Amino acid sequence: MPAVVMLVVGLGLSLAQAPAPGSVDAKLISEFKERVNQYLQLREKVAGSAPSSTDVPEKLAESRNEFSNKIRAARGSAKQGEIFRPEVAQYFQREISATLNGRYGNDIRATLRHAEPVKMKVQINQSYPENVPLQSTPPTLLLNLPELPKSLEYRILGRDLVLRDSDANIVVDYVPNALPGSKQ
Amino acid sequence: MSIRSKTVPLAAGLIALSVSLAGAQTQSRPGLRIPLQKDSVRFAVIGDSGTGEKEQYQIAKQMEAYRQAMNFDFVIMLGDNIYGEHEPRDFAKKFEVPYKPLLDAGVKFYASLGNHDDPKLEASYKPFNMNGERYYTFKKGDVQFFALDSNYMDAKQLSWLEQNLKSSKARWKICFFHHPLYNDGKMHGPDLDLRNQLSPLLKLYGVNVVFSGHEHAYERLKPVDNIYYFVQGDSGKLVHHDFRRSDLMEKSFDRDRTFMIVEVAGENLSFQTISAGGDTVDTGTLPRPAASVKAAAATK
Repeated sequence: MPAVVMLVVGLGLSLAQAPAPGSVDAKLISEFKERVNQYLQLREKVAGSAPSSTDVPEKLAESRNEFSNKIRAARGSAKQGEIFRPEVAQYFQREISATLNGRYGNDIRATLRHAEPVKMKVQINQSYPENVPLQSTPPTLLLNLPELPKSLEYRILGRDLVLRDSDANIVVDYVPNALPGSKQ
Repeated sequence: MSIRSKTVPLAAGLIALSVSLAGAQTQSRPGLRIPLQKDSVRFAVIGDSGTGEKEQYQIAKQMEAYRQAMNFDFVIMLGDNIYGEHEPRDFAKKFEVPYKPLLDAGVKFYASLGNHDDPKLEASYKPFNMNGERYYTFKKGDVQFFALDSNYMDAKQLSWLEQNLKSSKARWKICFFHHPLYNDGKMHGPDLDLRNQLSPLLKLYGVNVVFSGHEHAYERLKPVDNIYYFVQGDSGKLVHHDFRRSDLMEKSFDRDRTFMIVEVAGENLSFQTISAGGDTVDTGTLPRPAASVKAAAATK
């Protein structure tokens, strides 16, 4: 378990036990992280570093568009499931289901209901629409999913779990119906 | 724990100006209910502000009037700083134009992120003073502020918060973020899962005050675990008749948009909540909770 998480665990907060090294789940997490890193390496290669801070809004928009267009062009043929391979997607579905059935399940559901839920069709490489709110991702859910590098994040759209590049505002991949439907 | 608070219409506020407060400089400025102590930390609070509509501009106008009266030199933003599109014209219409008098006067804005914000664009927008980060801390006098991203409270952010709260030597620790841990609004209500993960840290490390937005109204709650909670999500958006009464509610207001001015001086935090129409809808002075003093000592 990474050192960064140890302090949080020390407070007794809800965090799933890491899969035993060498287990099937540990291998799936490792594979997922490797594919995430491959995406970031490609991003670095074709688009360089993420746009830096400025006080000029025109530059913000311009550099974001330039950055994301380079990434889109480089992975124009990307398809759903390239990072969340079917077995990896199933792992995520299991973890989410276990979390929702765990100690804080009802509170997570309440958080999801109250957080201006968003429903829209997701497409790979699509920009997340600026006029649609980004639903917050329940913290307990985040604590139970594999940790992501800084520029990537998990977002929930309807029942889908989206892997979003927040620097580029791009949908990198997603797990359809990652959240169970019955109690949502 | 004693809390002095009352609803004061503008006229009463004007009359009250003649009252001399012990140890304070009395100011003859309209509507001001803040003591204005020497060397105090003074700031304003806005939440859910970035609509670009006329009501946001009305609040901004009131803020400038109160800045001239009390000289606050920074503003904390509780998220939803830019609603809708994030084109350059939106940054102008929903931030730069309404707050131009404040910006021109050198007032700094410190933003936190709401669910309508674009995290990367806004964190990279220098006038929001986020230094490219989604969560950050800064210190003003005896007060340390922690701007959090409640949209995405992951293990990294929780660890960062714990480390920074633990190492803080500030007398006052104030957190601000978008989603309220407690509130009695009908539209959203409290974020229960965020509360599960965040409140143990706030309690353990002696956070004194939490400001949140998201619910489009104003509410001050009774202290929970010796932490004062304010909800200020109506500096641009407003939802009328948004509340259900609860035992935690100390004061609520949902009939006009508002902003807050705050002064921290020594062991006291004074606040005043002002509507777009210029009425003072809530005011008071809160002592630093004793339990927070103990918690802060325990972290040293």
